[in-house]
This record gives sequence, C-alpha cells and structure tokens, in this order.
Amino acid sequence: MSYLTSHSAPSGISATKRITIYRDMVLIAAGFLALSPLLAMHRVTDFMIFCIFVMSFDLLYGYMGRLSFGQMLYLGTGVYVSTLFSLHFSPNPILSLMAGVVGGAIVAGILGLIVVGLDGASFALTNLAFNQVGFFLIGSAFQKVTHGEDGISAGVEPWGFLDFANEYVAFGFVLLCLLLTFYILRILTSSPYGIVIRSIKENESRVKFLGYNTFFYKWLTFVLAGAFAALAGTLYTLYVGFVSPVFIGPLNNVEVIFAALIGGAGNLFGALIGGVLFMAMKDSLSTHITQWEWVLGVLLLVIVFWLRGGVTGLIKTMYNYGKAKMAKRAAVEVEKG
Amino acid sequence: MIQTLLYGLTIGAILYFFAIGLSITFGTMQIINFAHAMIYALGVYFLITFMPMLQGSFPLATLFAIVAVIPVAYLIERFVIRRLYGESLDYAMIATYALLLIGTDVIKYIWGNTPQPISDPIGISFQIFGIENIPVYRAVIVLMAVAVFVGLRLFFTKSIVGKIVIAALEDTDGVRCLGLNVDKYFSMVFILGSALAVLGGILYAPIATAEPYMGHDILLIAFAVVIVGGMGNLTGTFVSAFLLGMVLAITGRYWSQAADTMVFVVMAAVLIFRRSDA
Repeated sequence: MSYLTSHSAPSGISATKRITIYRDMVLIAAGFLALSPLLAMHRVTDFMIFCIFVMSFDLLYGYMGRLSFGQMLYLGTGVYVSTLFSLHFSPNPILSLMAGVVGGAIVAGILGLIVVGLDGASFALTNLAFNQVGFFLIGSAFQKVTHGEDGISAGVEPWGFLDFANEYVAFGFVLLCLLLTFYILRILTSSPYGIVIRSIKENESRVKFLGYNTFFYKWLTFVLAGAFAALAGTLYTLYVGFVSPVFIGPLNNVEVIFAALIGGAGNLFGALIGGVLFMAMKDSLSTHITQWEWVLGVLLLVIVFWLRGGVTGLIKTMYNYGKAKMAKRAAVEVEKG
Repeated sequence: MIQTLLYGLTIGAILYFFAIGLSITFGTMQIINFAHAMIYALGVYFLITFMPMLQGSFPLATLFAIVAVIPVAYLIERFVIRRLYGESLDYAMIATYALLLIGTDVIKYIWGNTPQPISDPIGISFQIFGIENIPVYRAVIVLMAVAVFVGLRLFFTKSIVGKIVIAALEDTDGVRCLGLNVDKYFSMVFILGSALAVLGGILYAPIATAEPYMGHDILLIAFAVVIVGGMGNLTGTFVSAFLLGMVLAITGRYWSQAADTMVFVVMAAVLIFRRSDA
C-alpha cells in the first residue's frame, strides 16, 4: 500500500506539487522539441498523437489495473466521428475535435456500463469483441457513409491561424493537446479519485468495504480513457486528413499495450517514453524488414519475464542502486576520516 | 436451409475442438492462452508438409501433424505458461500474445503468405430428403465432435488423470496438499487441448484455406464460445460452441460480413444477463 505514504493528504493539490507538474510539462515540451530536429518534425507530431493514446490506455491499465484489448475502438470512434462531423456539419477543426471527443466518451459511457462489471480475462476479451464489432460497423455495415476499406478524406478546413497543413502549427497544437492531457491526467491520478482507482487495482473488494461505489469509479475511468483515446483519434483526423478502418483495427491493440509496457505501466512518463520508443522502433524496423512483428513478440516476452517495470522501472532501479552505492561509499569515507 | 444448418453444425464442431483447449487452460491455470491460435495454424501447416510424404493420406498426415505439434505445445507450457502460472493474468495474456506474434511470423517465413487450399479428403456428397447435396466430410466432422465430447466426459469422470484435473479445477491447492504433482497433470491436459485444436484446424482447412492468420480469425469467436459457455465449464463449452456455430451460419447466410459481429452481440447479451443474477 505504498500509495498511502507516497501521496500527501487527499485535500487538493499542494503548491509544490503544482510546481513539479509545471516543471515536468516544461521537460516534456523540451524533450519533444529536441526530438524534432533529430527525426523529422512531422514524425514527431505523429509520435505525440500516439503518446496521447498511450496515456489514455495507461490510465485504464497502469493506474486501474484493467487490461483492455479494445482501446483502438475509442481511437477509431474519435477518428470517424470527427471526420464525419467535418464533412456533414462544420469544417471547423476545433468543433470537429470536440465532436470526436464527445463521441468517444458517449460510446465509452454506454459500453462501459456492460464491460466495467467484468474483470480480468472477460474484460479484456469483451473489449476486443466490441472493437471487432466497431471495425465491422465502420468497414462493412456503414460502407456508404465511411467508404469502407477505401477510406475517406476529412473535410476540415483551416480556421484562423489553425492550419494543419502548416507543419509548425500542427506540431504546436498537438504538443499543446499532449501537455493538456498530461496535466489533466497528472492532477486526476494524484487526487483522491486517483487514489481510489489505484486502490481498485490493488484490491477491489477492500475499496468496496470502505464504502466506495467501485462500479462508478471504474466506469468514470473507462469513460475518461475513452475520451482521451478519442482525442488522439481526432488529432489523427486533423493532422492526417485521410482516414481508413486501420484506425479502428482490433489487431493494432497490441501496439498500445506494448508501448505502455515498455515504458513502464502506471506512470505517465513511462507512457510517453514507451510511445516514443515504440513509434521509433516501428519506423526503423518497418523500413528495414517487412515482417517485424516477431521482434515485438520477443521484446514483449523480455518485458514479461525480466523487465516488468519497463524502461522507467529500469531507470529507477539503476538510480536507487547508484544512490545506495554512493551512500555506502560516503559511509566508508566517514569511517576512514 | 439444411445446408445452412449443417454448416452451422460443422462450424460448431470446429469451434468446440478449438475452444475446449482454451477452456481447460483457463479452468485449470486461470490463463488465457492466445498461443492456442498459433498451435492451430501450425498444425495445418504441418499437415501440408506431411501430406506429400505420406502419399497424400489425409488421416495419416493428421496423426503426424498432431504428434509433431505436441513438443511445441509442451515447450510453450513448460517455459512460458508454467512460469507465469498463478501470477497476474495480464502478463500471461501478453506473453501468449507475444508467442502468437512470433509464431505467425515464423509460419509466414517458412510457408509463405499465400493461402493454400486443401482438397476435401472424402469428396463424396449424399442427399437428404432428396433436396441438397451434403458432403459426407462435414457430417464426419460433426460426428467426431460428438465423439470427442463423449470421450472427454469419460476421460474426466472415469480416468484417474481426469478426476485429478477436475478436482484441481475446483481447488488446486487442495489437490496439491494431497501430495499430487498438479503441474504434471495440467501439462497433460494442456497438450490434450492443443492436440484437439490441431485436429480442429486440420478438419477445417479443407472447408476454408490454410493461411497464416487462420488462427486469429477463429480465436476471437472461440473466446466468445468460452465466455458464453462459462470458463472451465466443459459441457457449457460444447453447448455454446454449437449455439454460436449456428448463429454464425444463419447470419452468414443472409449477410456474410455480419456473422462475426452477431456472435459478439450474443456474447454481450449473455454477459449482461449473467451479471444481473450474480
């Protein structure tokens, strides 16, 4: 029950805490800005959108301990709702974005009522099944509206300075969305709500005994995760401008699971690092070898057997080890002196 | 219509062969085994390799393919699943999914990406009520599923190994306290489940075609079968396999792309109703 000690009294966010959050956000922004000359700017924009998606998944899996194999459904909902909105209602990018996020939250809210009561394997698989249903609806059933496998172009038009054809504007806007997501999730996960969902991960029945309506907390988390996944989806619509059922494909769920795990689940920094690492790996591997999924498989096995904490876990272990060693050395020197 | 019904029964039988292994693994070890789909496809590719060597004898090649898969299944059980046994369900799911990714790429590497057709090994049709041509092969599949169901029932109620496994399904620690090596028996039923999946894959291959992702396609439906039938419930798995097979066939007759989706709709309905009485 480490969360009881590591998090201060559940009475709002203290000033020092807020300062660390701002510091972290500056660090993240600096990190992505530093990456953009190394890779191309448009690729870093792509990475950041994926990172938002990974954070949404991490809220569900890392913080609440519910592994979903169907998070792509909410990304896809965001993608398609915003695209269709831009075509049929208004080409305004901000309105399309909001429509996509609300759409994702509504779908998550309805399906959440069914799946949130399940646990473990049933939860994971039912989500996968719903994702399959969504894929079918987009890819086949509503072919007339979505153009099925052929894909469809979004009708988003520039609004004021917000022109996604401009690389710098797109980069800045996506970075802003990423920082906003990070900020909201960071505040939420260290709030009393965050403590409840982490406690649900540890032991749900005890949280129930304490008088919490765990169903509501789980449902709320599911909706939040769906909304942020949809946000990532709408950014794809705005940025890529052309969508196809790939964005809702159930087989792509492994990517976000992998990213969350390699970075270190239950840690927003881990989600960001994992997202960047995964995208970088995917980019470089798929240009060199056509079949690269086995590499993903091998790395997943390595994580499961030897590297449960992911990259952030590894860094933490090394840091603690180094600190212990330093302390020892200092103690020896004091003895000598 | 008779054609459709028989198709439903055939699919139900294949689903049963596949789902029984998943159900046993979940019931005994609480592990969702994605690698089952890899075993299923691998068996079919072994069959394709062995057929020419055995003068095209389908039954012999089937036997060889099943025997060839056993060591693979043993290795998966021994080095991946047993190491994760009793730990968090998530890691087991992720690890077996990793195996599925690796296995699929290995299959693609060795046998290539293109679908390979396999011809109907019996190739005779008969008529019922003088209306439609019904391949004997499909009737054989359904009969085999019933035979396997009866065989498994006898195995789990009469044989000592089966009794131990059933007891372990109820209370693993209790059985362990009796001084029995539970892991050994779990390993045996895991291999049994894998062998049945291979049998299912091979029997289905002449109806569809062999391709590297054939396991992925059936995996999701089979998970629905296991959820509807109740995880670890062997009779429930049998009933729900045929039920969902029927759902697939009847939906597929009218709107083929909607067939899979209909299965998940049924699954969601079952989940909702089951929770309300829990």
